[in-house]
Amino acid sequence: MNHAKLRSLGLDLPVLPTSTVGSFPKPPYLVDARARFARNQITRNELERLEKQASEFWLRTQEEVDLDLLVDGEQYRGDMVAYFAEVMGGMRVGGLVRSYGNRYYHKPVIVGEVRWPGPLTVDWWRWTQAQTSKPVKGMVTGPYTIMDWSFNEAYPTRHAACLALAREIRKEVEALVEAGAKVIQIDEPALSVRPEELSFATEAMNLLTEGLSAYFVIHACYGAFETIYPDMLALPVDNLDLAISNSGLDLLNIFERDPFTKDLSLGVLDVHSHRIESPTEVKERIMRGVGVLPKEQIWVDPDCGLKTRTVEETVGKLRAMQAAVRQVRAGAV
Amino acid sequence: MEILLANYGSYPRIGDGPQLQRHRRAYAQWERGDITAAEFRRVEDEVTAEVIGEQAEAGLDVVTDGQVRWYDPYSHLARWLDGVEINGLLRYFDTNVYFRQPIVRGSISRRGPMLLPEFDFARSVSPKPVKPVVTGPYSLARASVLKGGYRSHEGLTLAYAEVLALEIEELARAGAAWIQVDEPALLQHPEDSELVRNAVARLAGAKGNARLVLATCFGDAAPLYDDLQTFPVDLLALDFTYSPKLPRVIGERGSRLGFCLGLVDGRNTRLETREQLFPILDTVLPRLPGTVHLGPSCGLEFLPRDRTRAKLENLKLLRDAYLGYNQEP
Repeated sequence: MNHAKLRSLGLDLPVLPTSTVGSFPKPPYLVDARARFARNQITRNELERLEKQASEFWLRTQEEVDLDLLVDGEQYRGDMVAYFAEVMGGMRVGGLVRSYGNRYYHKPVIVGEVRWPGPLTVDWWRWTQAQTSKPVKGMVTGPYTIMDWSFNEAYPTRHAACLALAREIRKEVEALVEAGAKVIQIDEPALSVRPEELSFATEAMNLLTEGLSAYFVIHACYGAFETIYPDMLALPVDNLDLAISNSGLDLLNIFERDPFTKDLSLGVLDVHSHRIESPTEVKERIMRGVGVLPKEQIWVDPDCGLKTRTVEETVGKLRAMQAAVRQVRAGAV
Repeated sequence: MEILLANYGSYPRIGDGPQLQRHRRAYAQWERGDITAAEFRRVEDEVTAEVIGEQAEAGLDVVTDGQVRWYDPYSHLARWLDGVEINGLLRYFDTNVYFRQPIVRGSISRRGPMLLPEFDFARSVSPKPVKPVVTGPYSLARASVLKGGYRSHEGLTLAYAEVLALEIEELARAGAAWIQVDEPALLQHPEDSELVRNAVARLAGAKGNARLVLATCFGDAAPLYDDLQTFPVDLLALDFTYSPKLPRVIGERGSRLGFCLGLVDGRNTRLETREQLFPILDTVLPRLPGTVHLGPSCGLEFLPRDRTRAKLENLKLLRDAYLGYNQEP
């Protein structure tokens, strides 16, 4: 683990630190409130009151489970890309497009020059951090993914659209760092879609992070990482958070060939399965990771955001994860 | 010159208005156990009829069933096969869509007809000819994890071809005029073109009177163009959006095979213009034999429903303007 950097940032975390990828399910009252807000039946203040109520529940849940690095739970966000697109200048929310199964999202459209409208997530980060002594992650959606998951009606190329987004998202990252966020996660699930574009995705990530004092994590999931490995190790971040349990942990095999040089957040919970893993099962997944990388390089978290699970499934899965980590720590530390 | 407007494959199953969200609501009800599988299938039937109607109204001459029932291009077929399990999600090429990965554990065999009932239904509700679409054996094998039953992906490709040949035979016997075989993975792995050709030859042997369409997308087909011309199929459906050189290649070399021109960008909402399309048509049409199909570069479910329809209606205006009848777009 990049201990020196974490310590210099004032973070003292145990071996195999635990965290989550960002989103938690919205309780039914909030789902209902969002629908009523969309129909102009409740005020924004009323919606925000319920978002805070749900966020507080998730904050206490994370503390009760005893996770090491907390998140705000994204109770105020719909889709991770649409959330940014709704407020970025030059973008508008487009129609519904299917992602998989019965999951749909509003695919944004870049219709003009993109512009940061001012702090987006910073107030939520501040609100969350003010209520806990544990560190809270800042979370932004990455420029490559926003570009790839949007229709582009404005820029001549994908490259140009991506760099323009990076310059604007950097302003959000700067605002999070200024507010005091020590760990910042950049969500880039699209990272591996076009291996030939990794060079400009990396260029965009440089624009985003260069010269900023924070421990940076890139979260990527459900991609063909073998196609961009080991080149992806050139991404200018400290930690790569990869979905691994979902693909039967095959990804770890490639690390045996080319050593993984960053910290790895090992996704150990399948967020698309209703089944709650047992601590033993999660422990086995962690041990697979520990067999390939020194445990000092490993963080433990779910494969992806948990927003598609129920509240009960989410809490059950997180408890199993934390219990497994406790067992490994007790045996290995 | 006859230019038929032909769909590629998928069509958005829901739209933004509440009346267009019936499929999504029913899917959620079925997942929760609030409705039965049979009730959900009825909704799938209704939505299939609706998207076929929409294609016909937009002016398409050849429609598809929109692949409304398909979870994804692989698991929809793999779930009907013994010897195959369905695993976790993986991204489908460079799209925003995820598929469930087939895991092959033993010798594969078909439990029964997979696509024939879907084709029969589509045809019964369609005012236009329906083109059934089959995922190709090579792309299926490439998407699969091989854990048993076969020594190599080559063996698995040929095994899938055996199973899919039964599908082709049934669809042809049922009267499909065209049957499309999707092999997008070929463009990622041109080194395997001989294997793909052999697998497709197995399908061609089962096609009866149907015309077989080999479709690729999500990549540049120009470097493989000469090779593709040697495939034992009747038409090629190629994605022009990844391939700026393709019109020139076709203009220079002509085509032995019929063509489905994938000129409507199935991945971006911007409407096509005559300035984009007409020069390409001018270049390629004189070199193509017989009736030409014109349509999307790939399946359309990467677009919102309203833009899909707008693109198809726009395509009809452009085609008609190009042929010199009807109004200017």
